Amino acid sequence: MDADSDVALDILITNVVCVFRTRCHLNLRKIALEGANVIYKRDVGKVLMKLRKPRITATIWSSGKVICTGATSEEEAKFGARRLARTLQKLGFQVIFTDFKVVNVLAVCNMPFEIRLPEFTKSNRPHASYEPELHPAVCYRIKPLRATLQIFSTGSITVTGPNVKAVASAVEQIYPFVFESRKEIL
Amino acid sequence: MPGGRVCAVCGGSEIEVDAARGDAVCTGCGSVLEDNIIVSEVQFVENSGGGSSAVGQFVSLDGAGKTPSLGGGFHVNLGKESRAQTLQNGKRQIHHLGNQLQLNQHCLDTAFNFFKMAVSKHLTRGRKMTHVIAACLYLVCRTEGTPHMLLDLSDLLQVNVYVLGKTFLLLARELCINAPAIDPCLYIPRFAHMLEFGDKNQKVSMTALRLLQRMKRDWMHTGRRPSGLCGAALLVAARMHDFRRTVKEVIRVVKVCESTLRKRLTEFEDTPTSQLTIDEFMKIDLEEECDPPSFTAGQRKLKIQELEKALSKKLEDVEGEISIYQDEIENELENSRPKAKGVFANLTKDESIEDNTASVFGEEEAEDEELEAAANHLNKDFYNELLDKDRLKKNEGRECKNGNETPVWPPALESLLGPLPTAASLGITESIQECISTKDRDHNENTGDGELDLSGIDDTEIDRYILDETEAQIKAELWMKENADYLKEQKEKEARIAKEKELGIYKEHKPKKSAKKREPIQASTAGEAIEKMLEQKKISSKINYNVLKDLNSKGSSTPKKEDDSTDDSSNTKKLSRRKSTASRNIANTINSMGKRLRPLISTQLAKKAATEEVTFPDSQTEGPELEKPENVLVESGPVSYNHDEEAEEEEIEEEDDHCMSALQLMGGNDYGCDMDDDDGY
Repeated sequence: MDADSDVALDILITNVVCVFRTRCHLNLRKIALEGANVIYKRDVGKVLMKLRKPRITATIWSSGKVICTGATSEEEAKFGARRLARTLQKLGFQVIFTDFKVVNVLAVCNMPFEIRLPEFTKSNRPHASYEPELHPAVCYRIKPLRATLQIFSTGSITVTGPNVKAVASAVEQIYPFVFESRKEIL
Repeated sequence: MPGGRVCAVCGGSEIEVDAARGDAVCTGCGSVLEDNIIVSEVQFVENSGGGSSAVGQFVSLDGAGKTPSLGGGFHVNLGKESRAQTLQNGKRQIHHLGNQLQLNQHCLDTAFNFFKMAVSKHLTRGRKMTHVIAACLYLVCRTEGTPHMLLDLSDLLQVNVYVLGKTFLLLARELCINAPAIDPCLYIPRFAHMLEFGDKNQKVSMTALRLLQRMKRDWMHTGRRPSGLCGAALLVAARMHDFRRTVKEVIRVVKVCESTLRKRLTEFEDTPTSQLTIDEFMKIDLEEECDPPSFTAGQRKLKIQELEKALSKKLEDVEGEISIYQDEIENELENSRPKAKGVFANLTKDESIEDNTASVFGEEEAEDEELEAAANHLNKDFYNELLDKDRLKKNEGRECKNGNETPVWPPALESLLGPLPTAASLGITESIQECISTKDRDHNENTGDGELDLSGIDDTEIDRYILDETEAQIKAELWMKENADYLKEQKEKEARIAKEKELGIYKEHKPKKSAKKREPIQASTAGEAIEKMLEQKKISSKINYNVLKDLNSKGSSTPKKEDDSTDDSSNTKKLSRRKSTASRNIANTINSMGKRLRPLISTQLAKKAATEEVTFPDSQTEGPELEKPENVLVESGPVSYNHDEEAEEEEIEEEDDHCMSALQLMGGNDYGCDMDDDDGY
């Protein structure tokens, strides 16, 4: 309906999750002992390392798989992942930075109007599900994009998707539906 | 075949039907038209007490009835398939729960239908049956519009509401059933009844309903639990009609927290409707609608934030001005300060340091103004502190801007200020340098194969991430202390495993479902063992027992009715769930048959477990030596086995691995002798 208002909407990316492999076995004990900002969880077999510069928390397994969370953009995520790999290299492991992939992106968006949730749910039956007893938001899934949106009655929308593009297109897709069920401000 | 109408032979229509003999005979030509007519009359038997009762069985509407047991006397298994059992079990639970919720029969049947659909779509796999059943019931409640909440169900089951909710959502999605949204108005009659308003129940309910509708229009109900809204509406309605219902009573009925209720009341208070009197409310309905409370709260927050920003900006400006004044004052003071000598010589050194810091700041000033402002702010604070101290010391209320005090005061200031801001400023300097430092240093130290692109990575910072030895030691100690319990457990476990290994008992504990434990069958001959095993085993509906019986007696050559059945079990301990035709089958065939039994046995052996390989050849040697295997076998009677497809599939796979070796064993061993012992039964 209002295509131009997409430009006006600010989509704030709050979290980007990515994974990469180091293609070598990592000795968690050594990392735990010599790293300055690590938490060693021996019972589950992983090490949490937190970086300050891009604010990132990385979970490191001994198989060499690493998951990074907390970045605010895809580039930052990659940057942080590379830094992490560099740190591991310095600790003495033969690290090879491969299979970098962004797995999940979480973004927040604000609509300038409120939304009538029961009406919205009725008109978007299979995709939208609303259980006020359990959660105050409507959960809308877009299958082809593999994105999930949580729509609150205040007009704030939380989107999660596999990459930033999917998130953006999800917001674009949902806008007309949400616009239909908006609450007119008198 | 219309036996009752016209005779096929002579065409006569006089046909006599004799019920006693079950015949239909034509009286014209005497030809028997029908034999063994099936009669659908009720039969009666006489009881011991002299009374008579009808013969027959009750058959259930759904699911297979009990299979008649042949020969009787054997352990009758339920005989049903797993699916039927599941459905029956589910039905029972649904009825049990439904009765507690006072659902009518129609609802229960619908719930059972949902359950059947869920089972056919394999949604019960991996979920607790109780959860699925609760979800089915709640789905029915929603579609029918009964005033049951998910909370009620979770109360009954003592399960977390969100867990149930998850299952419910999944079920609704998979079954493509759209549950209509909850309307809080549905709950009003129920809660009103529980609050016991007596005669005025109707009136109070109506008032509460109107209140609720008002709330809906005022946007209080979106995203909120309907029960909370109901509670608030009922409370107000009760008070309006002079019922003294306290918050606690309402809470107990409605199941929300006290603070929630109060919050709803406050929100309602904010709406213009609350200003109306009772009578006015009944008559008038205000036109305007309000924003949802969370929205207004959000707006308020935004406003406050903006205000804060504006304020802080102003503050900064003011600070900037103040710092300017401060600098000017400082300059003035320095100029007017007499040169310090002797005791104060040291202090002048501090002064120079301070100058350095100032100069450092000067460098960065162009680049980073904020930091400077912050540092100045710090300075200002220190100045203020010192001012206070000096005032206390000197007991003079005058500002130190006066030149009179300057000779004594500046050195003190400097000495105090000297070290402090320097540390701070140095710290800040470092980070400033970091931020500003070029990010284009390329370190090409990475390993050749590693595709690690190091552009933009600052090695020095990364070096700081690595602890040196003493730090590492300290950290190791700390971690050990933290995780002492876990480490202890691990050690004990290892010790235990080591011990077991020594004793040779050590076994890899695989997370397998434990097989049913049976007592090991003590038997001297294979036949006895089979017999005992059969007693323990269960009957299946897939074996043609008659043919097996024939096998015993005649030793004929057509054993196979069960193609899939695995054979054999001399020792049934390992065999808990397999179909087994007896090895008596094999014994028989060995005794009586010719070479064509070989392939028979090999295929049968193919399905044998490895553990039996050892025992089997032994039993084989014994087999032909049995004097009367026949008798033994007759006594054991028909084979009973368990028909359990799923478990069997697993085991068949295992057995296939050993088929070759079993075959070899058989081929190499005594089978040859057996052939010679053919007695020709």
